[in-house]
Amino acid sequence: MHNSGLACTLNASYDEFTLNAEFAIEEGELACIIGPSGCGKSTTLQLIAGLLPLTEGSITLHGNDLTSVPVHHRQIAMVFQEYALFPHMSVASNIAYPLKLRHLKKSERTKRVAELLTLVSLEGYEKRKSDELSGGEKQRIALARALASDPQLLLLDEPLSALDAKLRKHLREEIRRIHDETGITTLYVTHDQEEALSIADRIIVMRDGTVMQSGKAEEVYHAPNSLFVATFIGDGNTLPAHLFADGEEERSGVIFFRPEEATVQITVPGEHLPHLAFNEATVESCEFQGGRYRLHTRWQGYPIICYSERRPKGKSINLTVRKKDLLYFEDGNV
Amino acid sequence: MRSRAEMERSGFYQRLALPALVVITLFFLVPLLITLSSAFIDEGGSLSLAPIISVFSNPYIHRIMRFTLIQAAISTLASLVVALAGAYLLFAYSFRFKRLILALSAVPFVIPSILVVLGFVIFFGNNGFLNTALMNIFSLSEPPIRILYSYKAIILAHTFYNFPIIMNLVATYAMHLDRRLEAVSYTLGASKAKTFFSVTLPRLLPAIISASSLVFLFCFSSFAIILVLGGGPRYTTMEVEIYRQARMMGNTGAAAALSLFSIAVTSLLLVAYNRSQRRLSKSEAYREPLSLEKRPAGLVGRVLAVLYTIISLLFVLAPIISVIVRSVYSSSTGFTLKWYRQLLNLERATSHMGSALTALTNSLLIALAVSLLAVILGTGLAASIERRKKSRGALELLGMLSMTVSSVIIGLGYFLISSRLRGNASLSYTLVVLAHLVIALPFVLRVMLPEYRKIPLSYAHSAWTLGSTPGHAFFSVELPLLKSAMVSAAIFAFAISMGEFNATLTLSSSTIITLPIVMYRLIGSYNYQGACALGTILIAVSAVVFIATGTAKGTHHA
Repeated sequence: MHNSGLACTLNASYDEFTLNAEFAIEEGELACIIGPSGCGKSTTLQLIAGLLPLTEGSITLHGNDLTSVPVHHRQIAMVFQEYALFPHMSVASNIAYPLKLRHLKKSERTKRVAELLTLVSLEGYEKRKSDELSGGEKQRIALARALASDPQLLLLDEPLSALDAKLRKHLREEIRRIHDETGITTLYVTHDQEEALSIADRIIVMRDGTVMQSGKAEEVYHAPNSLFVATFIGDGNTLPAHLFADGEEERSGVIFFRPEEATVQITVPGEHLPHLAFNEATVESCEFQGGRYRLHTRWQGYPIICYSERRPKGKSINLTVRKKDLLYFEDGNV
Repeated sequence: MRSRAEMERSGFYQRLALPALVVITLFFLVPLLITLSSAFIDEGGSLSLAPIISVFSNPYIHRIMRFTLIQAAISTLASLVVALAGAYLLFAYSFRFKRLILALSAVPFVIPSILVVLGFVIFFGNNGFLNTALMNIFSLSEPPIRILYSYKAIILAHTFYNFPIIMNLVATYAMHLDRRLEAVSYTLGASKAKTFFSVTLPRLLPAIISASSLVFLFCFSSFAIILVLGGGPRYTTMEVEIYRQARMMGNTGAAAALSLFSIAVTSLLLVAYNRSQRRLSKSEAYREPLSLEKRPAGLVGRVLAVLYTIISLLFVLAPIISVIVRSVYSSSTGFTLKWYRQLLNLERATSHMGSALTALTNSLLIALAVSLLAVILGTGLAASIERRKKSRGALELLGMLSMTVSSVIIGLGYFLISSRLRGNASLSYTLVVLAHLVIALPFVLRVMLPEYRKIPLSYAHSAWTLGSTPGHAFFSVELPLLKSAMVSAAIFAFAISMGEFNATLTLSSSTIITLPIVMYRLIGSYNYQGACALGTILIAVSAVVFIATGTAKGTHHA
C-alpha cells in the first residue's frame, strides 16, 4: 500500500514477551493503539521513538528510514504518561526548550510559546511552574511542548489515564481538535477502548506483542477479525455455536453479537428476516442509562447483554437477533 | 529497567564515568599496589615473603595487633552502653531536651579527629577546664582527674567520638518501628524497663549490630587519638605502627606488610557493615513514626533525662567549647587575642605559629580544589552508575573502594611515590590534593547516588525526543535538579579535606603545611593556645558543615 505516513515492522524480545508488530498509518491520521495491560503498547511507542533498541525490523516515516537514526534526530515527539515537565523550568521555558534547541530568537520563541498556549487553551500560563498545575493542565503543556518541536510524528503514551472520567472526556476532544488543527500524524496509546473509538481515525488492537487488527473504528467494531478483538472493543455477547446448529453441519466455536443488535420482543415475535430467538431469558438486572435501559439477562445459563427502550415488566423476556448481524469465530471459546 | 539499554547505547552516560575512573585507577589503585608490593620484596630486591613473615612473627607486632583489636572492642562496648542508655531515654520518655540530644548526636560526625584530640587535652588535661573547675569547687590542690596519655584516655576519647553515632543510628531506626508492640507489652503488665529489654532491644538488634560494626571500624583505624593521647609505645595501634615503620624507621616493607593486615580487617568490617545495612532496610517494614501517647517522665525519668543531657553536653560540647575558650583565655595571660594576631601574621610569631597563616591558606585552597574536583567527578560517576544496565555494581564498588583502605595507608602510597620523585612544593601539594580527593570521593558518591536516583528517566527521554542530544539533556535538564545536592556534597568534601590529618601527616615532608599538621606540631610543642586558635577555625568550618548538611549520614574519619 502506498503510504507516506508511518510504516513499521518491529521485532524485539524481552523477558515478559516478544514484540512482533507490523502496522502502517497514513499521514495526518490519528491512530490509537489499544490492548490489555502488558500487550506491548508502550513498548511499541518507545521503539518508534528510538528510546528502545530494535532487535530487527524497520521504521519508515514519510518515506525516510528511521531505523538507525538516533532519538534526537528522528523528529518524533512524545508525551509521556507522567508528562515529564521539567520541574526547574517555568511553563514558558518548558515549551521553549525545543525552540531553543533550534536556535530561535527570543522574540520568536515568546511568540511561538504564546501561540501554542492558545492552541491548548491555556493562554497566560507562561510564568507558572509545573507544581502549580493540575493534571489536565500539565498534560496540555506537555502536548504544547511536544508540538513546539515541530514533529513529523506525535506519540502519546496513555496521556489521559491519570485523570478523572469527566476530564478525560473533555481532554480527548481537545486532543482531537488540536490534531485536526495541526494535521500532524499522531499515534496514541490507551487502554480505554471507548476513548479510542471516539476519537481515532484508525484503531490498532494489540495482544501479547502482536497486532491483531488494524482498521477504521467502525470496521474494528462491526467486523472484528477475531473473538479477542470482538470482545475487547465494546460490549458483546458470546455463545457456543453448537446451540444453533439448525440442520447444517455441526459447528464448533462461538457466535457473537453486539448488545444493540438484540431486539427485545415485548409482544409476540414477528418474523421478517432470518433470526435467532432467545426465548424466556431471565432478566437479572436493569440499568437506566438516560435514553435507554441496559439489561443483563441469562438464557440457558449464558449471559446476554441487550438494550431496551422500556423497562421490562416481567422477569422473563424474549430476544431476537438477525442472522446477518451474527459473527462466527471458529476457534473461539466462551 | 529496559530503557536503560538505550541510554547505555548512547555512550554519553558511559563516558561520564571516565574521569572518576581515571582518578581512582591512577591515584588510588596504583599507589596502593606500589605500597602493597613492597611487602613482597625483601632487602635484596627479589620477590619473597620474608618481610611479611618477619613482621607477623614478631611478638611486638602481635602485641600491637592484640592491643588494636582489644581497644577497639572495649571502645565499641563503652560507646554501646552509653548510646543505648541514651536511646532508651529517647525512646521511652518524652522530655524537653530530646531534640537537643538528637542534634548533639550528629556533632561528632563532622568533627575532625585532630580537633577531638585537642579538645580532649584542653578539657580533660591536668591543667584542663574540668580539673581546674573541680579543684576550685572542691578546693583540691592536685588535679583529681589524671587520664591523659593513657589507655583510659583512648577509650574515653573513642567513646565520646563514637557513642553519638550509635545513638543516632539506633534512635533513627527505632523511631520508625511500629510502637504497638511496646503498647501491647505495657498492657500485659510489663514495666518500661522490662519492655525495653525484652521487646524493643531484640528488634533493634540489626541496627545495633550495624552501628557497632561501623564504630569498631573507626576505633580500629583510629590514628590521631592514639598518636597524641596514647603517649607512647605501650599504646600503639596498627595504623600508628604503619606510620612509625614507614616514616620513622624507613621500613617500608614492614609498613606494607602491616597494611595488608589493616586492609583485610577494614574490608571485612565494611562488608559486614554493608550487609547489615541492607538487612536493616529489608527488615521490619518502615512505618510512619507512630507517636505513642508518651507518658511524661516521672521523677526518676526526669532526673535520668537531665543527667543524661548534662553528660552528653559535657562529652560532646565541652571539649569543643574549651578549645574556643582556650584560644582567647588562659589563667596566666587572661583574655587575649594575641594568638589570632599571630595566626594572621599581624604580630610576630615564633616557630610553628609563624606558619599558621600559610597553613590556613593552604588548607583552604586545597579544600577548595578537592571539593570542586570531588563533586564534578562524583556526580559524573553517580550519573553513569545510575543510567547503566550492566556493571553497575562493579562501578559502584570501585567508587567506594577507597573507603576500605585507611587514610594512613593511602598517605603511605603517596609518600612512597613522592620519595621516588624529585619533587618541589607544587608536586607535594598536588599529591595532597589527590590524596584528599581519593578519600572524599566515596562520600560524594554516597550523597549523589540517591539524589540522582530520584530523577525520573522520562525527563531525559523527553528532552531527547524534543531534539536534544544526550549530553545537552544531562546538562540542561538533569544537572539543574542536582544543584542543592551538589552543594551539600561539596561542603562535605571541603570539610573532609580541611580536617584531613592521617593521610596528610603520613605523606608529608617538612614542606607541606596544612592546618591539622600545624595544629599537631603546636600540640607537640605544648603551644596549646596557638593550636586552639587554629582549632577554632576548624570548628567554624565544621559548624558550617553541620548546619548545611543537617544530620547524620556523615563523614567520619578517625
